[in-house]
Amino acid sequence: MSLGTKKFVITRFDPDRDTEPRTEEYEIPVQSDWKVLDAINFIKDEIDGSLSYRWSCRMAVCGSCGMMVNGEPKLTCKTALSSYGDSLTIEPLANFPTIRDLVVEMDGFMDKFQKVKPWIIQAKERAVEEGPQHQSPEDLQAFKQFSMCINCMLCYSACPVVATDPEFLGPAAIALGHRYNMDSRDEGADERNAVFRGEGTIFSCSYANECSEVCPKNVDPAGAVNQAKFNAVVDWASSFVVKREKE
Amino acid sequence: MSRAAHPDAMSPAEPGRTRTAPPQKPASWPSHPRMRVYTLFGWTGVLYLLIGFGLLETAWSLGQGEVVWDAKLASFSHPAYVAFHLLCLVSVVFVAVRFFRLFPKSQPARIGPAKPPPRPVILAGLYAVWLGVTALFVAILSGAIFS
Repeated sequence: MSLGTKKFVITRFDPDRDTEPRTEEYEIPVQSDWKVLDAINFIKDEIDGSLSYRWSCRMAVCGSCGMMVNGEPKLTCKTALSSYGDSLTIEPLANFPTIRDLVVEMDGFMDKFQKVKPWIIQAKERAVEEGPQHQSPEDLQAFKQFSMCINCMLCYSACPVVATDPEFLGPAAIALGHRYNMDSRDEGADERNAVFRGEGTIFSCSYANECSEVCPKNVDPAGAVNQAKFNAVVDWASSFVVKREKE
Repeated sequence: MSRAAHPDAMSPAEPGRTRTAPPQKPASWPSHPRMRVYTLFGWTGVLYLLIGFGLLETAWSLGQGEVVWDAKLASFSHPAYVAFHLLCLVSVVFVAVRFFRLFPKSQPARIGPAKPPPRPVILAGLYAVWLGVTALFVAILSGAIFS
C-alpha cells in the first residue's frame, strides 16, 4: 500500500569535491511496509546512483546500515518508515569521521575493539583429547546478552563521552571485553582489566545510559560498563584484605 | 547535525588515505527527552556546588561572632533561601530516583560465590533504606530522638 511521498534530506560528502558535508533533498513515493533502508535504496537505484552508504543483510544481523534518522542513531533496515512524518533527515552516524555521504570511518572503532582482547584467553591451550569445555546454562546466562552485539556502532553514536573523549574505549568494546571476563572458560580477565582500568576507560563513562537505549539488539552496554566499574571497586577493596592476609 | 564532536573522536590510530569530514554530535542533543534527563542530572551539580559554598559561608560566619551568626540564622528563613532548598530537595529526589533506576543493572553477575539478589529486590531495598534514613533524620531534627 502506498504511503504517498516523503521528503528525504540526506547528508552528502564527496572528499574529492566538497570542503564540508552538504545536504540534498529527494522526494520519493514510499510504501507502507518499507523500512528507511528501502527508501534509501530506492533513491540510489532510481534517482542518484552516486549516493554512498553501507548495507547488507536487511534483517538487523550484519550491523552495517546504522545511520542518524531524524537525529537518532538507527539501524535503517529495522526502522519502519511509517513511524515518521513527511520529512526525514538522514545523516552519517554521529561521533564518527565521514568518508563519503553516509559512510563512516570504522577503523577507530576496530582499534578500540582490539584493545579489549575480545577472544577467550587461556593460560594453557587445551588439548583436543581433553574434549569440549563444558559450560552450564547459568554460566552462559552471565554473559549471553553481551554476546548479542552486532557491532553496528549505534551506541558510539549515542554516547556523550565518545563525542568528547577520543581515548574512551566506548560502550560496545567494553561490553565485549566484559563478556569475555564473564565467560567461565576465560582466564584473561587480568589482561583485560589492565586495559579497562587505565586512562579513558570504564571510569570515563558518565552513565548517560544512551548506549543501552539505542541498541537495536537490546544489549545493555551501560550495564556492562558499570558492572566492570563495580568489579574494579570490589577488586580494589579486596586487595587490601588479601594484602593483610599475606602479612 | 549541528555541533562538532571532538575532532579526533573515533579516529583511527593510523590516518586513512581518504580525507574525511570531521565527526559531529547528534543534533538531538540535548533536546531529546532521554538526553534532557541526563542533562538535567548534570545541571544538578551546580546546585550542589552552591550548597557547598553556602556551607563554607555558614562555617565562616560561625567564627565571626554572635551578631554575624545570629544574622546568618535569621537569613535561613528568607523565602529565597527556603525556595532554593526546596529546589535542592527536588533535585536530590530526582538524582536518587535516577540512581535507583540504574543501580540494579550495575551489579556484577557474582562476587566470588555470592550472587546479587534479583533487580526488583535491590530496587526495593534501596527505597527502603532511603525512606528509613529519611525517617531517622526527620526524627533527629524534630527532636523526637537524641534531644
